Amino acid sequence: MEIYKADVVIVGGGGAGLRAAIAVAESDPSLKIALVSKVYPMRSHTVSAEGGAAGIKRPDDSLDYHFHDTVGGGDWLCEQDVVEYFVEQAPIELTRLEHWGCPWSRTADGHVNVRPFGGMKIQRTWFAADKSGFHILHTLFQTSIQFPSIKRFDEYFCIDLLEEDGRCQGVVAIEMATGEFTMIEGKSVILATGGAGRVFRESTLGGIVTGDGMALAFRHGVALRDMEFMQYHPTCMPITGLLFTEACRGEGGYLVNKDGYRYLQDYGLGPLQDKPKNKYMELGPRDRLSQAFWYEQQKGRTIEHPVLGSVVYLDLRHLGEAYLHERLPLIYEMAETFMGIDPAKEPIPVRPCIHYTMGGIKVDGKCETSLPGLYAIGECASVGIHGANRLGSNSLTELVVFGKVAGDEAAARAKSVAPGNSASLLKQAQAAEERVLALKTKTGGTERVSAIRKEMVRSMEEGCGIYRLEETMQQTCDKLAELRERFKNINLDDKTSVWNTDWLYAIEVDYQLDVAQSVVHSAICRKESRGAHQRLDGPDGAYTRRDDVNFLKHSEAYYVPDGAPRIDYGDVKITKSPPAARVYGAAGEKADQERNASHV
Amino acid sequence: MSEQKIIEIEVLRYLPESDEKPRSEIYKVPFTDDMSVLQGVQYVKDNFDGSLTFRWSCRMAICGSCGMMINGIPKLACETFIRDYYPKRITVEALANFPIEKDMVVDLSGFIEKLEAIQPYIIPKEPRTVEEGEHIQTPAQFAEYIQFTSCINCTLCYAACPQVGLNPDFIGPGALALLHRYNMDSRDGGQTQRMELAASEEGVYNCSAVGYCSEVCPKKVDPGNAVNINKINAAKDYFLRFLSPKGGAK
Amino acid sequence: MSKRRPYVRPMDGWWKKNPYYVEYMVHEGTALFVAAYAIVLTFGLVRLSQGEAAWNGWLEAMKSPLSIIFHLVLLAAIVYHAFTWFKLFPLTTPPVVLNGKKVEPELIVRGGWAAAIGATVVSFVIVWGLA
Repeated sequence: MEIYKADVVIVGGGGAGLRAAIAVAESDPSLKIALVSKVYPMRSHTVSAEGGAAGIKRPDDSLDYHFHDTVGGGDWLCEQDVVEYFVEQAPIELTRLEHWGCPWSRTADGHVNVRPFGGMKIQRTWFAADKSGFHILHTLFQTSIQFPSIKRFDEYFCIDLLEEDGRCQGVVAIEMATGEFTMIEGKSVILATGGAGRVFRESTLGGIVTGDGMALAFRHGVALRDMEFMQYHPTCMPITGLLFTEACRGEGGYLVNKDGYRYLQDYGLGPLQDKPKNKYMELGPRDRLSQAFWYEQQKGRTIEHPVLGSVVYLDLRHLGEAYLHERLPLIYEMAETFMGIDPAKEPIPVRPCIHYTMGGIKVDGKCETSLPGLYAIGECASVGIHGANRLGSNSLTELVVFGKVAGDEAAARAKSVAPGNSASLLKQAQAAEERVLALKTKTGGTERVSAIRKEMVRSMEEGCGIYRLEETMQQTCDKLAELRERFKNINLDDKTSVWNTDWLYAIEVDYQLDVAQSVVHSAICRKESRGAHQRLDGPDGAYTRRDDVNFLKHSEAYYVPDGAPRIDYGDVKITKSPPAARVYGAAGEKADQERNASHV
Repeated sequence: MSEQKIIEIEVLRYLPESDEKPRSEIYKVPFTDDMSVLQGVQYVKDNFDGSLTFRWSCRMAICGSCGMMINGIPKLACETFIRDYYPKRITVEALANFPIEKDMVVDLSGFIEKLEAIQPYIIPKEPRTVEEGEHIQTPAQFAEYIQFTSCINCTLCYAACPQVGLNPDFIGPGALALLHRYNMDSRDGGQTQRMELAASEEGVYNCSAVGYCSEVCPKKVDPGNAVNINKINAAKDYFLRFLSPKGGAK
Repeated sequence: MSKRRPYVRPMDGWWKKNPYYVEYMVHEGTALFVAAYAIVLTFGLVRLSQGEAAWNGWLEAMKSPLSIIFHLVLLAAIVYHAFTWFKLFPLTTPPVVLNGKKVEPELIVRGGWAAAIGATVVSFVIVWGLA
């Protein structure tokens, strides 16, 4: 086995991992950084983010506004001290990206421009047309190239963490090009592996979003927190799930049902607005918009398309072709290429699809997990800023704010702790190698991995949809337990070493089954409705309401070998925003005024 | 339900541990009109042969993973649709001008080295702290470089460029477009450093203006234009060196 | 030991594999005809320097049917070369900005043609004027 000794190991080369790598390199050029990624960094899923990154910019905005939008948007399940730090750092980190060359869209006088986004009181979303994630990722990747201390392990697939003396001391990875194993030692390990949305069927996500890091930490006893909160994005392409950014609505797009009616006014988001108005109508939060779609469908007011199924229309026609080309070029191109629709002339059929994992590896405000030396950042982590529902454009900012935090922390730690016992780490790595090789070399199995994956994603969609019921969630729990058993009986077509994706996909499905279990078991135990977790059941409909008495708590899923995860609960940190009714539109404005009055 | 349509997909297979050299294999794939060629090969992998190997991720033409030669033309498989070829057969092959690792997976390490070599990052014209805020960039300054930021590193332009095939050391269209992107950015002051490489033996003069790179670019970056502008720039630098009092010494 | 065995495909006959490359090769090939005509003219210049008889002999040779056919072939090839050369203009020239807007590639190509036609007309006028 190849051995590489680093000071800091980072798994995942997306926005968060790259930002962390740069932070380590800048803090001390003598620290050796290993950046491990199963794809070339610029392929990471950060690339697909469209709308932008939130950070206060305008003189009429304030840190407090951003804080309250985020905490309220998260249905009060946010760690408020962490949110306070986050909103403070946001503009600093976004400015730093500007210095590194990120081509933020500008105003006519040459300043960075901001656009409105759902659930945000003031325009504060920095954007680079509708390819913000793409530009952030490429800026970070290219910036990282100037640091010789960052050694990239591109197309290395991480299969395990190394734990010794109660601390995390490295990882084991497969070099995809050869199928051979490498042990990478590190005094600090940062997981930045992204979300887990691919455990669902219809999603906006790339094929790589398989929750690898979550499963790795989970198996090492670290809790996965708030996993039941999976975000459905309201405006996605039916079947493929590809995303039409929220910026479509930020720029003034309408959502209409089959009667051409802007139905959001019926769901506490009105009254009707002609121009985009923050926190009204189409600029409500994602959970509410996706839930409104579900009700429209129940009422028979969605469009029943013969191929696409139930859809509503995203109408951009009134914005005009030139404006769409300037502000939403990717959306324009996608509608034309994938759907044969000219959005300047026709409305776009859309529906909600899985988009984001609010929960993740439980970390404190310094991004450290319960396993010393192990950090987690970005979508794979739950640092506590999204709560039960993430506001659009907070997650790109999260990558850079907490990427920096974790990088600084990991660097400080690497300088203070002694190196581990290589011989004993190697023994562990070899055990991991054997276990993973066995998946490939074993014979006599009858199950196809692709079949298990298909049944898993369908079951997750049925059990953990926009609205949830005990009965269907239980069916999903049972299904996943069955699939876990059947996974033991897999057989791979490809038994070779070089670029064996048949094998790698099997390892991914193995990860996904663990993460899927954490989602549905967390969901079935949360007997209330909050943010993206909405239930239709309970005695007298008790679970259809938010229950702050019993559930103003983080769920924490713990790994149980060969069994269902154990679900525990942790406290929510509240500093300056006590839980209140979560309201938008005119009611929201009234509540805001009352809060301000009481503060004075 | 309408009758299930079947497309023939002919894949150039190469399994390095058993094949001496690449060979063709034909698969019959049921498809619907919304299916991309990527979904076609995914169908083959899921249902017929798990050893079929290709890179993919985002499915929306932005991650740059799924470039393939489709009927001889470099394309992103995710935004190329089976319906546009039916009922004719589709041929799929690894991107040209790269060594094949396995099936459609090519060795990109050479491309990555070139990308790293062109210093693709802001070399600040003057130091600026975060406290000083953002740089001001006028619409005209922005327009100078923005087109060249759109490159997704899909390497279709490398597969389109015969000069890359004939001389693997040529830095190539994509990386040179990125070099131009940073040179044109008003925040950057690293042009002199980068032009040394642009004017070198591996640089812009390898280009014979075939122009196919710009033709196949899925993001309309026009890398061929970037390369050719830099032929002019490199020539200007060369002649100006004789005119400057220091003889071009730095 | 790594089991990697990257396969490098041969480049033989690469230019036949794509109509785009064929056009490129024909374009490059027609440059030879431009060179050929330059040689013809240079030869004329040499004859001129050798006195009136030599010059008249060259003029006579130019009028032979074989020479005229040769010139027609040259003309066709050079027009094709010009056509494909102008087509490359948007690729090879820096962006032209007029009134803050980038000039469309189509317009740049037409500019090339306008210049070529203009130059041809001027040449004719001069030659006929002298005659």
